[in-house]
Amino acid sequence: MCVADELNFSRDILPILSDRCFHCHGPEPTHREAELRLDQRESATADRDGTAAIVPGKPELSEMLVRITSGDADLLMPPLDSHRKKLTQKQIDTIRKWIAQGAKWGKHWSFEKPVKGSLSPQEKKQNPIDVLVQRKLAAEGLSLSPITEKQTLIRRLSFDLTGLPPTASEVDSFVNDQAPDAYSKHVNRLLKSKHYGERMAMWWLDLARYSDTDGFQGDATRTNWPWRDWVVQSFNENKPFDQFTIEQFAGDLLPNATLEQKLATCFHRNHMTNGEGGRDPEESRIDYVIDRVNTTGTVWLGLTLGCCQCHSHKFDPISQSDFYSLFAFFNSIDEDGKAGTRAKPYLKYKSPLVERAVQEAQQVVNDRRPLEAQARKQAEKEFEPWLVEQIQRVKKGFTPWTLPQTKSLKSVEGTKLTQESDGVIQAGGPKLRQDDYRLITATKLPRVTGIRLEIFPHPSHTGGKLSRGPSGEFILTDVKLQVRRQGSSQLRDIEIASAVADVEKDAKGRNYGKIKDTLDDDPRNGWTTESHDPKQKHVAVFALETPLVLDEREELIFVMLHRSTTGDANIGRFRVMLTDQPGQAVRSLERMPLEDLATARVTVASKVDPKLRKRLLDQFLTDHGAFQKMKANLDRANTQLSQVKKAAGELNVMVLAERKEPRKTFVLERGVWDKHGKEVFRAVPEAILPMPKEKTKDRLDLARWLVSRENPLTARVVVNHLWQICFGVGLVRTPGDFGLQGKRPTHPEVIDWLAVELMEHNWDLQHVLRLIVSSRTYQQRSDVSSELLTRDPENRLLARGVRFRLPSWMIHDAALQASGLLNTATGGPTVMPYQPQGVWAEMFMGRYRYEPSQGAAQYRRSLYAFWRRSSAPTFLFDSAQRRVCEVLPRRTNTPLQALTLLNDLTILEASRELARTAIKQKATLPERLDFVARQILSRPLAERERLVLQREFQASHAHYQKQPDDALRLLDVGQPPHQSDVDPQELAAYMVIASMVFNLDEAITHE
Amino acid sequence: MNDPIENSVENQAMDVSRRYFLGRGAGVSLGAMALGLLEGTRSSAAEKTNSIGLPGLPHKAPRAKNVIFLTQSGGPSQIELFDDKPGLKKWAGKELPESIRGGQRLTTMTANQKQLIMPSRTKFKRYGESGATLGEWLPYHGEVADELCFIKSMHTDQINHAPAMTKFLTGHQLAGRPSIGAWSSYGLGSENRNLPDFLVLISKMKRPSDQPLYDHYWGSGFLPSRYQGVKLRNSKEPVLYLRDPEGLPRKVRRGMLNGIAELNQMRLEKTGDPEIETRIRQYEMAWRMQSSVPDLNDLSDEPESTFELYGPDSRRPGSYAANCVQARRLIERGVRFVQLFHPDWDHHSRLGSWCVARCRDTDQASAALVKDLKQRGLLDETLVVWGGEFGRGVAGQGKWDSPEGGRDHHPRCYTMWLAGGGVKSGMTYGATDDFSYNVAENPVNVRDLHATVLHLLGIEHERFSYRHQGLDFKLTGVEPSNIIKEILA
Repeated sequence: MCVADELNFSRDILPILSDRCFHCHGPEPTHREAELRLDQRESATADRDGTAAIVPGKPELSEMLVRITSGDADLLMPPLDSHRKKLTQKQIDTIRKWIAQGAKWGKHWSFEKPVKGSLSPQEKKQNPIDVLVQRKLAAEGLSLSPITEKQTLIRRLSFDLTGLPPTASEVDSFVNDQAPDAYSKHVNRLLKSKHYGERMAMWWLDLARYSDTDGFQGDATRTNWPWRDWVVQSFNENKPFDQFTIEQFAGDLLPNATLEQKLATCFHRNHMTNGEGGRDPEESRIDYVIDRVNTTGTVWLGLTLGCCQCHSHKFDPISQSDFYSLFAFFNSIDEDGKAGTRAKPYLKYKSPLVERAVQEAQQVVNDRRPLEAQARKQAEKEFEPWLVEQIQRVKKGFTPWTLPQTKSLKSVEGTKLTQESDGVIQAGGPKLRQDDYRLITATKLPRVTGIRLEIFPHPSHTGGKLSRGPSGEFILTDVKLQVRRQGSSQLRDIEIASAVADVEKDAKGRNYGKIKDTLDDDPRNGWTTESHDPKQKHVAVFALETPLVLDEREELIFVMLHRSTTGDANIGRFRVMLTDQPGQAVRSLERMPLEDLATARVTVASKVDPKLRKRLLDQFLTDHGAFQKMKANLDRANTQLSQVKKAAGELNVMVLAERKEPRKTFVLERGVWDKHGKEVFRAVPEAILPMPKEKTKDRLDLARWLVSRENPLTARVVVNHLWQICFGVGLVRTPGDFGLQGKRPTHPEVIDWLAVELMEHNWDLQHVLRLIVSSRTYQQRSDVSSELLTRDPENRLLARGVRFRLPSWMIHDAALQASGLLNTATGGPTVMPYQPQGVWAEMFMGRYRYEPSQGAAQYRRSLYAFWRRSSAPTFLFDSAQRRVCEVLPRRTNTPLQALTLLNDLTILEASRELARTAIKQKATLPERLDFVARQILSRPLAERERLVLQREFQASHAHYQKQPDDALRLLDVGQPPHQSDVDPQELAAYMVIASMVFNLDEAITHE
Repeated sequence: MNDPIENSVENQAMDVSRRYFLGRGAGVSLGAMALGLLEGTRSSAAEKTNSIGLPGLPHKAPRAKNVIFLTQSGGPSQIELFDDKPGLKKWAGKELPESIRGGQRLTTMTANQKQLIMPSRTKFKRYGESGATLGEWLPYHGEVADELCFIKSMHTDQINHAPAMTKFLTGHQLAGRPSIGAWSSYGLGSENRNLPDFLVLISKMKRPSDQPLYDHYWGSGFLPSRYQGVKLRNSKEPVLYLRDPEGLPRKVRRGMLNGIAELNQMRLEKTGDPEIETRIRQYEMAWRMQSSVPDLNDLSDEPESTFELYGPDSRRPGSYAANCVQARRLIERGVRFVQLFHPDWDHHSRLGSWCVARCRDTDQASAALVKDLKQRGLLDETLVVWGGEFGRGVAGQGKWDSPEGGRDHHPRCYTMWLAGGGVKSGMTYGATDDFSYNVAENPVNVRDLHATVLHLLGIEHERFSYRHQGLDFKLTGVEPSNIIKEILA
């Protein structure tokens, strides 16, 4: 029997047993059938009434073989009702052969200690990755592809090590460098770049389920971002991975722990926290501890420990009590399961990286203040002639409120509404518990800015008060304003911005009283004047969010809802009037400025009382679009500045700290938080690496166990991630599952070599990355012939380089870099990149609003984008969700992504700015097109490519010359540039071209 | 011998790629036929067949082609709306007997208060030939009572909103599993090549809801993301990034897309990567979506009678009632699964205004939808599901005898209704005890509901799984679940 024919238990047999048998005959006791375990040799070969499942060397006597081949449905294994597939003939033959060869047992590959394979002296001169990959290729009659073009190589390397494309000059410097060490110089340059740490941090933050909010109900904001900066800093220092691990698990337990080491432990607090009212905080706390165990399992051990929360693992040798022994390490954190601002323990931390952000925010304010002042000056100039006009207008008096023309007056439940000559409406007919009044009107006013509602007492009401209900008091729960166009079946909701009333009942919490509660469509609160004089008229004024202009075919519908809990409080007598006056006129009940102007009876503007003049000016400015735009810009800048300044103070960062009195830990039956089983103590799973009790006292010990040279899993799992960073997929294609049900490595010798290499080199991640990117395997061309594609569609043999779509965050960052917009600052408070309006508001029905960052803060890398757990940044398609730890990249190809890249504001603004630079720096059309391509694709255009772009340039340029307004509108995206000194029509046409190139498959692909 | 077991995950990838659609439905361009709208897999393994769902599915002749799932988020009170317990009057204000409570866990909102019984705040009436009883806050439901199948014995094991809703829609209380709509999209695809298989419509509300609607409620979990529900927003941009920027007319956009396609084609020739082919087609599909999707929000071609049927609120875009009209239109266009969400049923206080408000939002339109489907002959093939994540407890929260009183969450029993799509009409299944506290007969677990819905769609839940992390996951999970045979027509 030749060696190649020898079956390997771990590679050839265990996967079959695991998939077909372990469900009932594996490590998990409760589902075990017939007391038979096939995961252990003793049980599988034990004598069972004269037979044995497996008799080594004697397949014909092995009961197992009889059962898997049986034609009798009652005997056949796996049984039909298990819904597990029957073994294939090939699998049966393999089992037979294995038993015949003596049924040699072994461990699952990843539980064996990794060792380096032996290399010949000749092979030792080469990169070991290439040796091992080529061995396999040779066996398949294949070989490595040639090294790719230099432009492609430097682009690939830059994305992998920094997440950014190379600049044009970096490309040139590499392409023109003929020195033999040119490549390694660039590898070193990139590993030293401060962007290296950011790139690696993005990887780590996905694993760490890092987010700036809690998740769940409320989804409150947290300020853990200094931990994110610690991660960036650690990677940039090339902190050894064992140290990196120890600090995150137990920085607080290190002797003389520094502030930064304590900060590191935020890793294990990045889980979601649940502040839902009515939830038992202890249940939440248990969830958090479980999340830490699962995350540890996935990130360090590559094991799906989550299964063991409820039962012992069905496939891997991890028991439920192993799970809760790990749980015990995290069970005595000084936390109480709460969320929001009560999620102790906290570290008080002042970030050194805020000052720059404050300066940037201050700069935006400084830039905008003069623009606002200038706009105000201009507006004030226009105020003078306006004032003269108004003096003329009010000569014959001024009517602040106008009665609309009533088209229809109805109630929903049956109250009879009658309008009198002065427009006052009286309720009559049945006295109903609840009712809605619906008033359809038309108006001749040029626009509507506010509505006045007057409530009158009347002798026909109870006690001559305000309502016909038993108390004579009214409760108006809500009002609605809508527009309907004649002939249309649809209504349009009109937003009301504010409401004021002469008096309201003093109400605490959700209760009846305040006028503003009539705007929330919630019948549990609303306006009442109870406790004030009920025999007097009362008034409320509603201001519209934006002035409403109605044409003659449109009607205004005003709905008054009386839907209070107790009811019997419908308004008895009222009147509705409209105005076109803006600003304070509809935000208070005071006399309107024009009303006072009319009373003042002045004839020249200079005679207007200064106080009144000021009020008139305010009103004028309210209506002044150009000024309001500048003012809003300045307001936004000021808001941002004050937020950033807040971040400059002491922040609460969630960290680990032990409580004085440790908690007892129990196995939780079926994983239910309050179903205590037997008590367990801190210990590590023996099947991975046994450790004496005195060495598993605390989190520090746990971390040391994880990064022990003897631990077979951690180093393998880590190098697999590094491989995935460079190749898009890992050597083990299930990076979170190195267990029996995970994928086996495509190149077991490579993963083991790298794992040992990592540990031998003091857990130096950059050393392993350097080894990977220096291999010829990494540097191969990624083009593929149809022959090779058919033979190896998934590139499992690595006979070519890899081609895969870049993660969306790199696409975003690359656009900023290519356009020159990128703000390269490191760390600091979170920023808000552009996203479509209303995404947060929809999800939280208005509780949170998204305000894009102003000024330079807009152009930071995705790493710094505020991450709302319930609504991740919209431009990051296919990203990890950061609810729980995720390690497998998503890579889909959908029309929604095409739409994102076509219409995302960041890409559009980047297109505009890149177009501007191209026009300024280059003179001719071909040069400019080439410039755009070099910036985005890191290469010049081929002739036939240039022709396509030239054609589209000419077509769009022709359009914008014909439609110059379109050009201006297209250019008005994002923030205006500081200087705008190129022809807008030409700029728009080049912007179209840049946007096209940003959307090319090549632009978003790791080639 | 590299991998001795058949590689299930890759097999599944093949299954997915088999769904590269080929000609169904005339008038669709070649590009549209050649791929599904949101397909998201590598084309390298593409094996093109004309199957729109998974091969072998449906397992059997389906009773329902489509589903409209009217999700009432927050936990509507069965005691006010469906589950008439006249006997409770004599228990008013008395403490709930421990024998009934049986150690039921309470939320911390009422755990420290005495469990005093609050009888129903509504009067009940009998409707139709079936004699179904309904609370007075749902008068329009009464008109279609003979079309509905009430399940009064629903129960779950989750007592807080997010975990309960997650369980109700994905079969598991923790986020990460595919939702029922994603499962059906994965299994069956849909007949419309220009729209997603699974669309989500959320009522536009003024007040911030205390229960945000997380997108994992309609997420695809570990299934490929093309199966996730696509939320149709009520705005000028129904799908994110759908709108081209100002100043970029369609003509210029078309030119851009032509140019992009040509350049991508050149790259395809150079690299041989079939993924580029897919990309070219996805950009074409994006272009088509830009015309087909905005029309969905436009109800202006509906006759006046539609709005009279669905009620005045249906004239207001984004309202639950307008979404009901839209759901019917989407079903008519061949969308497989339409899910509505109406939030804020969480009436811990003031039933008389809070619960009533939600009834007023939904009563007429829910009933109208059933009527409308029936008169169009669509009810037979459309399954309508109405319900939420749990019910409400019999004890009053706050003062039992004050109008301020409300009810806390209650997982042990609640009511849902189904209509059409192979379900018996005019029937009530299951019953609760005299306190509407425990299921007295024919309990229906959330898993049983899932098994039944899949059954009606022609899918055997035991045979419908997806391999993930080495395990075969099913919507109905590992614990036993049963099809509710008694309610099948």
